[in-house]
Amino acid sequence: MTLLSVRDLTVTFGPVIAASGVSFDLAQGEALGIVGESGSGKSVTCRALLRLLPASARVTGSVAFDGQEVTALREDALDALRGRRIGMIFQSPASHLDPLMRIGDQVGQTLRRHRGLSGKALAEEVVRLLDQVRIPDPRRWADAWPHELSGGMKQRAMIAGALACEPDVLIADEPTTALDATVQKGVLDLLNSLRADRGLAMIFVSHDLGAVARVCDRLLVMRNGEVVEEGTVNRIVTAPVHDYTRRLLASHPDRLPPRPPRALPAGAPEVLAATGLSVRFGRRSLSDWLSGRTGGFVALDGADLTLRKGEVLGIVGESGSGKSTLARALVGLNRAQAGTIRHLGQPVQPAGRNRVTYLRQVQMIYQHPYEALSPRLTVEQSIAEPLRRHRLVSSGRIGARVTELMAEVDLSPDLGTRLPWELSGGQCQRVAIARALALEPAVLIADEVTSALDVTLQAQVLDLLSRLQAERGLSMIFISHDLGVIRRLCDRVMVMRAGQIVETGQVAQVFDTPRQGYTRELIAAIPHLPGAEAPA
Amino acid sequence: MRRAPALLVAGIAIVAAWGLVALAAPFLATHDPIAINFEALLQPPGDANYFGTDNTGRDVFSRVVYGTRYALYIGLLGVLAPMAIGMTIGLVAGYFGGWVDALAMRLVDVAVPFPFFVLVLAIVAVLGPGIENYFIALALVGWIGYARLARAEALVLRQSEFVLAARTMGFSHPYILARHVLPNALSPVVVYMMTDITLVILFGAALGFLGMGAPPPTPEWGIMIAEGSFYISTAWWIAFFPGLAMVMIGVGFALIGDGLARWLRLRA
Repeated sequence: MTLLSVRDLTVTFGPVIAASGVSFDLAQGEALGIVGESGSGKSVTCRALLRLLPASARVTGSVAFDGQEVTALREDALDALRGRRIGMIFQSPASHLDPLMRIGDQVGQTLRRHRGLSGKALAEEVVRLLDQVRIPDPRRWADAWPHELSGGMKQRAMIAGALACEPDVLIADEPTTALDATVQKGVLDLLNSLRADRGLAMIFVSHDLGAVARVCDRLLVMRNGEVVEEGTVNRIVTAPVHDYTRRLLASHPDRLPPRPPRALPAGAPEVLAATGLSVRFGRRSLSDWLSGRTGGFVALDGADLTLRKGEVLGIVGESGSGKSTLARALVGLNRAQAGTIRHLGQPVQPAGRNRVTYLRQVQMIYQHPYEALSPRLTVEQSIAEPLRRHRLVSSGRIGARVTELMAEVDLSPDLGTRLPWELSGGQCQRVAIARALALEPAVLIADEVTSALDVTLQAQVLDLLSRLQAERGLSMIFISHDLGVIRRLCDRVMVMRAGQIVETGQVAQVFDTPRQGYTRELIAAIPHLPGAEAPA
Repeated sequence: MRRAPALLVAGIAIVAAWGLVALAAPFLATHDPIAINFEALLQPPGDANYFGTDNTGRDVFSRVVYGTRYALYIGLLGVLAPMAIGMTIGLVAGYFGGWVDALAMRLVDVAVPFPFFVLVLAIVAVLGPGIENYFIALALVGWIGYARLARAEALVLRQSEFVLAARTMGFSHPYILARHVLPNALSPVVVYMMTDITLVILFGAALGFLGMGAPPPTPEWGIMIAEGSFYISTAWWIAFFPGLAMVMIGVGFALIGDGLARWLRLRA
């Protein structure tokens, strides 16, 4: 039976068309995925279903839910629909939970409002719901404040709230994007079991084909506000029709060309080595001192690392595992309290007086494309800055060198006079890479450089990094939370957890025969495309 | 680039008009602003004296016109030293953090509880009356607001990736502060400066009113209001027109500040 029927839904903000002519049906118990990159109109479409868009949006077309025309409903009739028949969860659970309200009360407010429960019955129902979303010890967590919950627990609590009135449809807008892979897997499994147990229909919006494929059977692919392809997940993954879908699939880490296993030349020198590197944040308070604790927060705990010439080392770990702390300690942004760093066998102080010589050899690129470039410098100025400051080329040659560097990272020369906000995320990241290359480093440290990019852009940037690495014989440290990406790019991988390195080895060996339980867990959580689970 | 909001345009127009008045004062003025004329004491506004005359027969219109020069001079120059000092202290404190920050902020904490004007008055009282001493007093206490704003910006900017990138490219701290932190910390400071100009003009006039600013025959609005206050029931025009001028110039700068704040927020 068709529950939700959308016909020709078009959303415009002034002259901007955010969604255009979107049509689909959702049957009872069905899970529909909507996939697309940023700006494709997938979130706008979802919000239009519940009329959650700002007043500046103009919506045309029809949304029929259970025979009722949602676009024509009065606001009070709409309230009866929202939360009661259609539940919704969002990307960042942290910003959608009231920080001053206990978890149990947040979940309970829908019950009170729509089902008129109160007192003991309400409390019982809240506990039952929290239990249903597999929050352990629900009685205790019902009394907790949002800040006491981890990201995954918050998302579970949000789902519990959305399920409170036993809705027929759950709309999930990027519900796992802000979560670590293992946590994401837990939430996806939960959604799957809710669907199996209760026949819940679902619309699952995500930029991640792998995550969508875990939950949904049918798929809409959106681009620039239009649905470009529709079909079952299996059909779309195995036999895509539209060009864009093909490109999207080809950009998925599962489909990227694998890095050929190769041996480094014997005796390739160690360009970078660290032993026993430890970083502590915060200071030791009086009470720490009295009770003999070290105090502060240990972000990195005795990490060892070696990087040989021409090698690509991956560092993988979930948020808070200390991988960025390690990278920043290597370039002197974090002061290491213990441990030594050696460059070509010589001990170095990355923040010390001779740091410039060292930093010219070891360059870092950062995560957020728009934040990594100084907002008031043009592309040319940004790339020229290190050349000028360190007098790497004569002042007459600067322009020519900038052009060379831009060509090397595939940036069109006419972008030279643009400011960062006039560029796309991928272009910004290319500028940042060109700027680092201006110093002609031997080592490039890339800290989550693709995680803020859409998949197709991610594939392009990875491709560029691979090419530059091969051409220049760069040694590279590639930090990512995404094991799929690491596998395609790196020779060797280090797995980090809670500030420590838990496993290290050749990529093939770590992925195929992980020794640690934690590594196995991480690998099992990679959202693969269906039919692509076999190791490449 | 978005179009500048109407508020900003209106503010700039008002301030620019006052700027023209100040520049063209000798041509606009109908009389010598300090010439005493016992033939025409306390004349109401009319054809001979547009804004009337004061108790010594000086032409109020000409005095208001010349007073614009003092107001703008005080307002524009008075904020420069506090801004320069405050920006430097705030940026350095926020960027380096640690004990530098702690020291600068304790200094701010000490100065904050005293009402601004009381501090300025106290300093001018010690140094003696005069506009130069007013500037010195402003430099001593006016930097605090700028320092707090600049520090807050620097705290955010020092963690931003382009500043980290500049550090890992081996640039020196002074260079990073000047080239990457300062330009990006400027916009809220400029907005604050606009409201500060209004304040400095008002306080300058208040000092004149209290006899601690420019010496008496000077056509300065504060002095004019002080002199006119004795005749407020019989010759209202002496105090009214300089007061009105002050309100209008204040509104002009306030509009610029407001419009600028909105414009910058829109662009962000």
